Amino acid sequence: MFRHTPLRYAVLAILAIAALMQAFTAGYFGLEILIEILILCLLVLALDLVAGFGGMVSLCHGALMGVGAYAFVALNVLADLDPWLAALGAVAITAAAAWIIGAICARSHGIYFIMATLAFGQMAYSYVFESPLFGGDDGMGGIDRFDLSAIGLDLNDSRSFALFCLAVLAAAYLFATAILRSGLGRSLAGVMHNEKRMKALGLNTWRIKADVFGLSGIIAGVAGVLAAQHIMFISPGLMNWTVSGEALVVVILGGLGTLVGPLVGAAAFVVMKHELGEVTTYWHLVVGVILIAVVMSRANGIFGWVEARWGDRIERRLTDATRSPAQKEVSTDA
Amino acid sequence: MLETRSLTKSFGAVHVTRSVSLKLERGERRVILGPNGAGKTTLFNLLVGELTPDGGSVHLAGEDVTALSVPRRARRGLSRSYQKNTLFDGLTVEENLALAAAVPTGHATRLWSDSLRQPEIRDTVAEVAEQVNLMPHLHAKVSEISYGVRRQLEVGVALATRPLVLLMDEPTSGVGPEMSKGFHDLLNNLPRDLTLLIIEHDMDLAFAVADTITVLNYGEVVFDGLPEEARGSKLLKDIYLGSWEDA
Ligand SMILES: Nc1ncnc2c1ncn2[C@@H]1O[C@H](COP(=O)(O)OP(=O)(O)OP(=O)(O)O)[C@@H](O)[C@H]1O
Ligand SMILES: [Mg+2]
Repeated sequence: MFRHTPLRYAVLAILAIAALMQAFTAGYFGLEILIEILILCLLVLALDLVAGFGGMVSLCHGALMGVGAYAFVALNVLADLDPWLAALGAVAITAAAAWIIGAICARSHGIYFIMATLAFGQMAYSYVFESPLFGGDDGMGGIDRFDLSAIGLDLNDSRSFALFCLAVLAAAYLFATAILRSGLGRSLAGVMHNEKRMKALGLNTWRIKADVFGLSGIIAGVAGVLAAQHIMFISPGLMNWTVSGEALVVVILGGLGTLVGPLVGAAAFVVMKHELGEVTTYWHLVVGVILIAVVMSRANGIFGWVEARWGDRIERRLTDATRSPAQKEVSTDA
Repeated sequence: MLETRSLTKSFGAVHVTRSVSLKLERGERRVILGPNGAGKTTLFNLLVGELTPDGGSVHLAGEDVTALSVPRRARRGLSRSYQKNTLFDGLTVEENLALAAAVPTGHATRLWSDSLRQPEIRDTVAEVAEQVNLMPHLHAKVSEISYGVRRQLEVGVALATRPLVLLMDEPTSGVGPEMSKGFHDLLNNLPRDLTLLIIEHDMDLAFAVADTITVLNYGEVVFDGLPEEARGSKLLKDIYLGSWEDA
């Protein structure tokens, strides 16, 4: 079950400090990259929640993010709602869509679950691609960012927007941990370890899965709203299944079911994309090789590998250091 | 408390359950005997709803539950343990028990509270751990405990939902005589109003704990009565005890 180890806290602290330093010191391009990382972090957080902690490998999370973005634009641009209201509505719509997808797909497992989620994602993609209401494949613009002038922030400034995204990510991370530490989250762990037994104990396991899928949809919806505000333009490409595929790659690269790992993976992925992208157009090849290496090493991603090597050692050293000498004696006697 | 009427099940041409009618009173402790492949586990699967019968019905506390799903029957107080350990392998003994204990209280589906930290769940976990001798292992993961201890946990998880009727599928299968003896004590520690249906291979244990005995052979009830009668029964000797003694 989910637990914060000292190593996880340490990595979170390092990531937060690095993001803050980048937010305060970087120029325009640096900030754009940071924002891209932060939004991807939201998406992979949502995905890790269902895939890493519920065994529900979803190939529709990119599309869910797209639903959030399109719903936001529909409410903000088409219905001319205040961005805050539009965001609230968009997140609710995404969560509802996610819950329904989760409820329907919860009865299938493994490859069938993946295919069912993919089908839902592609349905959403082809709808917005064809729909004249949403601008078809031309997409839509005219999107407003949130108005935070009340607290002296102008989100049209990249630095402010990056800091805002970081704050949202922090809140989403806390939300994800709250889910995992709730009765619902504990039961999800039970379902992932042994669904048959959970049923025999009296639990409607599909409901647990659907609820967590819906909650994960909240985070994906938030990612969609921020993505729409970031680029200030949306197009069906946002919903393409490759977005979901990429998110899955990032989760696996970072460490499935660790929550912290996918954040590391997101940062590594985007940085790699931009750094390698400057050198070669074949940067996807390099990512592919790294992914294969990670998968073949049988480690649970980059973070999982670090955790397996040093996690226990760090924890033991810390607990030894904080223990009183009297307790130490007891433990050596035992 | 638990009743079946003419329960029938076939796998293809094989009749695994043939018109089985059983009736357990509240607090009754019944042992099911029968050779390998007699259809004992299949009967359990039919009782809890993991298999759908071809005919007949299952009644729990006076109500027909034949059409109810596995979770719904469980929430009405029917719990089972498995012949082959069916545990939450990556989790600790305590977490295994807490997951089960959280279902009937409603904490298992709650977003705003942590089931593992609820006093009432912790109390149930401690109580059940005491009952099935798991106290020293609470913080060990399932992968770290021995097979025998896992068998105890298998029963513990089933008990932690606080059932009205508990079905145990060969709780002592694969454990040594020492453990079997411990299991006898465990059964004696269970509340007397808990209705028990136990599939058991160990004859001594079976006769020691049973109020009543049912013998299955080729999916059919061939004996239903008191342990004393079972011991003397010629039929039983032929189909079951006979082969047991010859072996
Ligand atoms: N799902 C299934 N599909 C086909 N045949 C099955 C299935 N489950 C059980 N059987 C068959 O039904 C018969 C009864 O099996 P069951 O597991 O109920 O026996 P049992 O009395 O529990 O035996 P044991 O003492 O070995 O546990 C066996 O012949 C078995 O092969
Ligand atoms: Mg069996």
